[in-house]
Amino acid sequence: MALRLKLEEISYSYPLPGRQEAAALDEVSIEVAPGDIFCVAGANGSGKSTLAQVCAGLLAPTSGRVLYGEESVYERGDLRGFRRKTGLLFQSPEDQLFADSVRKDIAFGPRNHGLRGEQLTEAVEKAAELVGLSLEKLGDRSPFSLSEGEKRRAALAGVLALRPEVLLLDEPFIGLDYEGREHLKKALSRYREDAGASIIVVTHELSDIWPLATRFTIIDVGKVRRFEERADLLSGDVDINALGMKLPQWGILARELLASGISLEDPADPRVLAKAIAAHREANRGR
Amino acid sequence: MAGAAERSKLQILVEELRFEYPGASAEALSGIDLEFQQGMLYALLGRNGSGKSTLARCMNGVLAPGSGRVMACGLDTSCEAGRRAVPATVSMVFQNPDTQMVASTVEEEVAFGPENLGLEPDVIRRRVDDALGLVGISDLARRQPLRLSQGQKQLVAIAGALAMEPTFLLSDESTSMLDYSARTRVLELFEKLRGMGIGVVHVTHFLEEAALADEVIVLDAGTVIARGTPAGILTDPSRVRSMGLDPLAVTVVAYELGKLGHSVPEILDVKELLAWLYA
Amino acid sequence: MVGKDITIGQFLAVDTALHKIDPRLKLIAAVASIVLVFVYGGWALLAYALFLFAVLIVVRLPMLPVLKSLRTVWVIVVITFLLQVFLTPGEVLWHWGFLSVTDTGLFNGVVFSGRVVLLVVLLAALTMTTPPLKLADGLEALLHPLEHLKVPISRITTVVSITLMFIPKMLDQSSKLVRAQMARGADFESANVLRRVRDIVPVLVPLFVKVFHDADELAVAMDARSYNSGTVRTRLYPMKIGALETLLVTAFILASIALVFI
Repeated sequence: MALRLKLEEISYSYPLPGRQEAAALDEVSIEVAPGDIFCVAGANGSGKSTLAQVCAGLLAPTSGRVLYGEESVYERGDLRGFRRKTGLLFQSPEDQLFADSVRKDIAFGPRNHGLRGEQLTEAVEKAAELVGLSLEKLGDRSPFSLSEGEKRRAALAGVLALRPEVLLLDEPFIGLDYEGREHLKKALSRYREDAGASIIVVTHELSDIWPLATRFTIIDVGKVRRFEERADLLSGDVDINALGMKLPQWGILARELLASGISLEDPADPRVLAKAIAAHREANRGR
Repeated sequence: MAGAAERSKLQILVEELRFEYPGASAEALSGIDLEFQQGMLYALLGRNGSGKSTLARCMNGVLAPGSGRVMACGLDTSCEAGRRAVPATVSMVFQNPDTQMVASTVEEEVAFGPENLGLEPDVIRRRVDDALGLVGISDLARRQPLRLSQGQKQLVAIAGALAMEPTFLLSDESTSMLDYSARTRVLELFEKLRGMGIGVVHVTHFLEEAALADEVIVLDAGTVIARGTPAGILTDPSRVRSMGLDPLAVTVVAYELGKLGHSVPEILDVKELLAWLYA
Repeated sequence: MVGKDITIGQFLAVDTALHKIDPRLKLIAAVASIVLVFVYGGWALLAYALFLFAVLIVVRLPMLPVLKSLRTVWVIVVITFLLQVFLTPGEVLWHWGFLSVTDTGLFNGVVFSGRVVLLVVLLAALTMTTPPLKLADGLEALLHPLEHLKVPISRITTVVSITLMFIPKMLDQSSKLVRAQMARGADFESANVLRRVRDIVPVLVPLFVKVFHDADELAVAMDARSYNSGTVRTRLYPMKIGALETLLVTAFILASIALVFI
């Protein structure tokens, strides 16, 4: 499997007042392939946001290497070029929106990288379309006059306009209601298909990206635990709570069923779960 | 009638409440009629923009009613004097732990409310100690609030609200920025407060939290579209989705089981489903 | 450059004697010192400056943040110094072309730039040792008589304390914003100064939007705990004058008298 992004033993510590140091990341290794939807989960303060910033070319690790393809990004590489290939959406759209109009705001990224004229307009329109934002209605309005959901879409469009190959999102689901969440998940799927991108969602809620994510990494106080498959997370040996996280109700149910010896082809599909439960109950009753 | 007046001191009554934000194109609240009792835990649900926060802020006097009336513990919020007096009986904690803190130590933070009420220092001291003890953070008393974790900050905020010795505690999505263990702690605290006779109204997105409430109220476009027990409101996944909410996993599975011909009682959590499975 | 160096206005939670002193006294002392420093000069000023530094060191105030706070004004200090040095008439010590350095110029340069330094140090010491809410309390108590002239003292002091509270928040926020825009290709390291200036806008705008938004939320949270400017607030730890205060005030008054009369 050709890797797109690889983190090798990344550590990051920052100075505290009084000559101490706090370790945010401790020899973290992660591998991201094209088309992955990756979930980096951790409790608040676990180091996940720091990790996102290292992956996006914004924070140099104190030790270890970040490899993009063959290039070690922080050592010799073209950091600015790397930042173009990775996009990072921060939690709150207010951390990013600034321009007079939505159109100009979305154009900020590509413009900084030299796009002009037709190419620029295309990039902006494509991004708006991917997130479901109507430029006819909202394009010339100030980003600050938009509703919360529209602001988030505008901010995402601003990041997608650069067509990053690795898209990182730092806690994108906080404060979203059900429809907002579904909308975002669809936008992510669309973008992934459209650009062949890898998507990394950093969150403290496993349920946010549960059915969508293919691989999981849980960060606990700067150290990671990797799970290649959703099913691995559900294995009885893993104490998710000890890692500061909680499985979504789907996961808890699936885990209980798996632990009772029931097999599930797709632990995230409610019909599969229902059939398995019904069958098991019949079998039980039969005795 | 002495009885009703006494009773109303322990209730929040919302009558035909309407509210519109200045410059908005539509009403945020279009006629709400509700009653909240002391000693109960309410969950207030609804999609973004449904009016839940607005309703909560009308209930503690932050916003004055556009029309209609809110009687919070016998105080009418239509007049300024009423709105000024309400925070002493109806307290609120907010969504963002960081933007609520004013002081440089936890105990002074918790003391902020009683200080505003002009109480004597020894009374303030007692209230602060009681609130910190109730919330379980007495050991954090001399720490700096902004250096604490998000969950701890929220507990400090709740202690600050409790130091007002309120009849009701309103929570405006106070758990939505917290991780799982912090949320659990807050919900446990809400249940404890309810047991002590304080009325808790918790605005939330998380149906698992709503499942713990005595009563669930769902808003949509400024009106109440559902009201009842969690089992009565949250067990039908298509209804839940139509209200703009994310159905609980077990209810979706129960629905599928129903399609396969099994009749499953109203369940809200995994334990109940497993109990049925092995029944 | 971003943020971490500016410590004026930032409260430091250490335990020094200065931290415990009544904020009203600290305010009076700070203001009085600043006035004295700007009115009086010469060797007496130097001695007074030494006295002030001695006080700060004796109470064990961490001096590093104080010195760091000077970083923000070093340009002004240098300019003040140079202006005095080159433009004051007197006995010429050295000249180069039309620029001449005089003895009075040099002396004045030290005094004037020293005043700026002392001003910053005093303000830093004040804000480092006094939490914003206490500072507001002190200000309010001292300026209270003006209420009789219908000046809205309470509101002004609230604004002051909230502004002070927001300075560190703004600094944290700005480094986050810088990173968000860097991720979109904004260049804060460019050699092109114009480019750097232009790229400040995407950071300043969201910064102010956020500050106003947060200030609004804070106001609502304060209202929700019955904060009504105008009514009398009591305190968990009421301000009072004790032995420590008396000691320091006496030392201070003596030093000030020495300054004035020598």
